[in-house]
Amino acid sequence: MMAKKVLHSLTLNGEEVQVASAAGATLLETLREDLRILSSKRGCNQGVCGACTVLVDGKPVRSCLTLTARCVGHSVQTMEGMDGDQIMATLQRHMVESGGVQCGFCTGGVLISARELLEDNPSPTREAVKTALSGNICRCTGYRTIVDAVCGAAEELSQ
Amino acid sequence: MTEVLSPGTIEEAVAMLAEYGEAMPLSGGATLIAMRNAALVEPSHLVSLDRISDLRGIDRTADGKIRIGAMTRHCETAACAELTGSLYVLRRAAGMIANRVVRNMGTMGGSVANADPAADYLPALACCDAMLEIAGADGRRSLSIHDYIDDWYETALAEGEIITAITLPAPVEAPSTYRKIARVSGDYATASCAMALDPDGQGMRVAIGACGPGPLRDRAGEDALRGKLGEPAAVAEFAGKLVAIADPVDDVRGSAEYRLRLIPRLVSSVLSELTTQKETA
Ligand SMILES: Cc1cc2nc3c(=O)[nH]c(=O)nc-3n(C[C@H](O)[C@H](O)[C@H](O)COP(=O)(O)OP(=O)(O)OC[C@H]3O[C@@H](n4cnc5c(N)ncnc54)[C@H](O)[C@@H]3O)c2cc1C
Ligand code: FES
Ligand code: FES
Repeated sequence: MMAKKVLHSLTLNGEEVQVASAAGATLLETLREDLRILSSKRGCNQGVCGACTVLVDGKPVRSCLTLTARCVGHSVQTMEGMDGDQIMATLQRHMVESGGVQCGFCTGGVLISARELLEDNPSPTREAVKTALSGNICRCTGYRTIVDAVCGAAEELSQ
Repeated sequence: MTEVLSPGTIEEAVAMLAEYGEAMPLSGGATLIAMRNAALVEPSHLVSLDRISDLRGIDRTADGKIRIGAMTRHCETAACAELTGSLYVLRRAAGMIANRVVRNMGTMGGSVANADPAADYLPALACCDAMLEIAGADGRRSLSIHDYIDDWYETALAEGEIITAITLPAPVEAPSTYRKIARVSGDYATASCAMALDPDGQGMRVAIGACGPGPLRDRAGEDALRGKLGEPAAVAEFAGKLVAIADPVDDVRGSAEYRLRLIPRLVSSVLSELTTQKETA
């Protein structure tokens, strides 16, 4: 059966968009399937892995657990819309340099969670970084290089 | 196919839930959408509570009580400066739920309604003697948290009713805290302990989480323990009463036997943390 599609208006990465999605679609489905915005990944579809994390009104949320209908009139930001964000650019550079990116599946979600941490706490301890990233599962790196990257970025940003 | 409805008032929301039999209220979605994604529930309508301003915010009522709107996110509760002293336990529990991103989504009403035996709010609310405010198509009622859990995942909420707020007695100056034993940071509790000392330091209130269908609390036992908090044998006897009313399960987070062993250790170590706090205050 074809799902009934509804037109949703939202602000995506600073631009007004209108998108036809199934009435009960999740934001992750709308982003990936209807808008072909592919930075947020579908890992578990259960809120557990963190690969689908995006910002709604500036706050990180799981897009797999967020209904598109609830985003109408709100602002959605994905990795595609983070160019020019200084914290993000610094985190990205440190992730590359420290080997925090292997297959890259978890990376967008990790970066968005890490960015929220650094906005809140510019000089986190390693322990605080680990706790903040506890909702982001990575199958490749073993996490140490990711924690190195976030700590390195924090140090550079606070200079 | 799920339709999403966005009522603007509590009355509209409960009317919608009554009208559509397969409708479910939607708060943060952190549990409900995950269940729908896994095809465990297939609601015809989701009645989204996020446009209802009466369900939002943490306020102090005229008589000093704290009223937490059902749609209050875990991150807001975790940052709420009003939750001090005897109510700090709830703030602390909120900050230990899952991780930051899930705390940006999940709500107190949704968590209480979902009634997961391992949820962090339930023991904290039982320790605070919280009241639940409930609305249904037939009107409003309030219910003590102690009368709320009927069985595993079964609550006193009737079909079509929603939780609108959680009210807490006015905070008093007395230390309280929440301790959670979990396999890793961000996991649900294997066992947990919410505790508040009485203002005079002579007695305490304690609720244990994740060791039965609902939080374990023995109020008669607490009364009997008043004045004897410094006597390890009396504390151990009291903890034994909590073990006796526990009904834990074996699951991936720990065996039933392990959980039973955690209870006395949680009680004595959290108690000594709070009494030390009280002495140094
Ligand atoms: C990865 C992950 C980890 C988690 N870890 C923890 C944890 O460590 N500790 C913990 O306590 N919780 C944990 N949770 C659960 C989290 O706290 C949820 O937010 C919470 O259980 C449900 O709240 P919600 O607002 O998202 O409710 P929803 O998912 O929107 O709803 C949950 C259920 O309650 C019903 N409902 C919602 N609101 C109301 C209302 N006001 N009145 C009546 N019924 C209502 C819904 O119909 C649904 O059946 C975790 C969740 C995830 C995804
Ligand atoms: S896909 Fe959303 S958390 Fe895993
Ligand atoms: S880099 Fe592959 S999952 Fe993290």
